[in-house]
Amino acid sequence: MAELSFPLPDLGEGLIEATVLEWLVEPGEQVERNQPLVEVETTKSAVELPSPQAGKVLRTYGVPGAKVSVGEPLIVFEVADDAAGIVGTVPRDEAPKRRVRLTAVPDED
Amino acid sequence: MSETTIAAPGRTGADPEPAAPRQLSMQQALNLALADILATDPAAVVLGEDVGTLGGVFRVTDGLQGRFGAARVFDTPLAESGILGMSVGLAMAGFHPLPEVQFDGFAYPAVNQIVCQIGRMNYRSRGTLPMPITLRVPSFGGIRAPEHHGESLEALFAHVPGLKVVSPSTPEEAYHLLRYAAARPDPVIFMEPKSRYWQKGEVSTGRRGADGDLGSRVARPGKHVTLIAWGAMVARCLQVAELAAEDGIEVEVLDLRWLKPLDAEGLAASVRRTRRAVVVHEAPLTSGLGAEVAALVTERCFDTLRAPVERVTGFDVPYPSGDLEDEYIPNIDRILFGIQRVLEYRRG
Repeated sequence: MAELSFPLPDLGEGLIEATVLEWLVEPGEQVERNQPLVEVETTKSAVELPSPQAGKVLRTYGVPGAKVSVGEPLIVFEVADDAAGIVGTVPRDEAPKRRVRLTAVPDED
Repeated sequence: MSETTIAAPGRTGADPEPAAPRQLSMQQALNLALADILATDPAAVVLGEDVGTLGGVFRVTDGLQGRFGAARVFDTPLAESGILGMSVGLAMAGFHPLPEVQFDGFAYPAVNQIVCQIGRMNYRSRGTLPMPITLRVPSFGGIRAPEHHGESLEALFAHVPGLKVVSPSTPEEAYHLLRYAAARPDPVIFMEPKSRYWQKGEVSTGRRGADGDLGSRVARPGKHVTLIAWGAMVARCLQVAELAAEDGIEVEVLDLRWLKPLDAEGLAASVRRTRRAVVVHEAPLTSGLGAEVAALVTERCFDTLRAPVERVTGFDVPYPSGDLEDEYIPNIDRILFGIQRVLEYRRG
């Protein structure tokens, strides 16, 4: 298993930090990709941040009311070693399938 | 040019003791290779989008920033021209940059830096400014990625004078070829087959020497036909060889590894044994690397060839995204048809 840290992303033009309002997940919980993780407030608005990926939550940073700077760790996931990258899927290992049979006999001369 | 003020340390680190071979995925093998490079070459630096804090979108640089520090493993802005431009400057100042372009489709914005600077600097400076840059490019398809996240750029890079191009097919090859590439004074485009990142294989560490790292590799011997491939297509060709054996056809699979320079002698030696050749690649047919392979084989083996060199490739369309890639990437049946065609060919 590997740990994957997700830092607070830039939530809007020029915003450098956000205040944690409420955590919607807790350590130990298995989350799906795009599941709302946390509600944060910036100087512009309150927003729910979706999970960038599936995995088990290991740690969260910032109690409600605390400020987190853009780029600082927000949440750490535990992911399987064979988890897909952020884009795409892991190809399945399948038994090779064929429809074509070779019929030619190679001349040996 | 006056002496640079940026001091890059020399190569002083000792190689770690070779460990017993172990089962690693290609992604883990590449991570280990990068760690061993950073540990043994104080001038090596890793840079790119999300390679630091995040550890790379495919986890290839996982943990490296924590171990070697943010001065040697660092995130860059989302600007490939900047990543490669910075690598040119670092190389001129004595560093050995290992930049990453996050996906092959993102290499296009950096083509000016790759072609007009990295490929030419050594030539332009009469050998005084070599470019010891190893550009890692997660390449090819097979993971159902969206557009711009899967390409097959080997012919484009192989066409550029001054660049070397290599693509590993197994975790073992990935570890050793990356270490070899990083120790070269020349720029190397290192094409990592994304669809093979997760498959495990036995990896031995330490160094295996230039004889083991150069040229092509016979991945499976056979006597009736040579299948020529690189990157992710090697595994598929090995599957095809297994199936062809059921029909009594012994297929030799040649893993080219180096796409520039091409191993002309290795190609010729294999085809002289089998007298038939099928080259398989994901890139479109027209002006693909298969054309160069076919020309080399024909030049060297014209008298022994029993059939024209067959090409089984992608189609002349943009690399498709999502499930459509199944219709595009050469599949087992298309490769078997290619073999059938060279087997049944008779001179008229």
